[in-house]
Amino acid sequence: MNPSPVDTSGFGAYAGPVLRAADGGAFLFEIEEHHLNGAERLHGGMMMALASIVLGQVANETARAKSPDAQVKPLSLNCDFVSAGEKGDKVEGRADVTRATRTVLFISGELRVGTRILMTATGVYAIKEQDAA
Amino acid sequence: MSEPLASPVSVAPPEGWSVSALHDPFEAYVGPLFERTEADGSRIFSFIADARHVDETGAVHEGMLMTFADAFLGGAANRAAQGDCVTLSMQASFLADAHVGDIIECRTQIDRITRTIVFVSGRFSVHDADVMTATSLWKVLGAR
Repeated sequence: MNPSPVDTSGFGAYAGPVLRAADGGAFLFEIEEHHLNGAERLHGGMMMALASIVLGQVANETARAKSPDAQVKPLSLNCDFVSAGEKGDKVEGRADVTRATRTVLFISGELRVGTRILMTATGVYAIKEQDAA
Repeated sequence: MSEPLASPVSVAPPEGWSVSALHDPFEAYVGPLFERTEADGSRIFSFIADARHVDETGAVHEGMLMTFADAFLGGAANRAAQGDCVTLSMQASFLADAHVGDIIECRTQIDRITRTIVFVSGRFSVHDADVMTATSLWKVLGAR
C-alpha cells in the first residue's frame, strides 16, 4: 500500500504533503527547497508545523477511536530543536499518547532522519464533541 | 544581504503596514508578512490569514502560527544578540481561534539575554484579543 497524505487542510496540504503508510506507522515528509531557512536548513517554523501535524493526527485518531464525532484542538505545544534538517532529507515522525482523560490528551513525539533526532515535541490537546459547540 | 524573496501570492499590506523583507524561503512561501513601527519605537509584525493557512475546521493552523512566531521571535533574538540565532526550544499556548481574513499581530519581548542564550516571548492577537502566547529559547551562533 502506498503512503497517503494526512492533514490535507489548507495549511497541511500547502506546507506538506505529510504522508503516512496505510498500516499506521511513521509519518513521512521530504524536505524541499521551499521548506528551508536562509541558512539552507529546514526552517524552524516548518519543523514545528510538521510536529504539530504528526501530534495532531495521533490526537485526532485517539479521540475518534472513542467517539467518531470528536474533534481535538491544541492547547499547548512544546518543541525542542535537537538538530538541523537539510534539503532532500526524508523525515520520519512518530507520536504516542502519554495519557488520555475524558477531555484532554497528552501526546509526545519526535521527528528524525534515520537515527538522528531533529525534534522532540509534546502537546496537550482538548477533546471536543462535535455537537457540544 | 541578498535580495528579499518574493511570496507566491501578492497581498496588499493593511493600512499603516509595510511588507517585511524575507530571506528565508519558507517564510516567503507562507507570506507575505508585514511589519510596522509603533509610536514607542517597538516593531510589530502581522499577516492576513488566507485559505493557505487554515486547518480542517477553518481556524488558522497551529503550525502556521508557530511559523509566524519562529520568524519574528527569531528576528527579535537576532536584533538583541546583534548576530544570528537558532531556535533551541519554543512553547506555544493556543488561547483562541483566528480565521481567514483576520490580521494576526505579533508583539515580541526580550525576557533575558546572556552571552549564549536569548529568552524571547511573544503575544499574538487579532483585534486586541490574544490568540496565542509563545516563549522561546535561542542560541547565539558563534558564542561559547
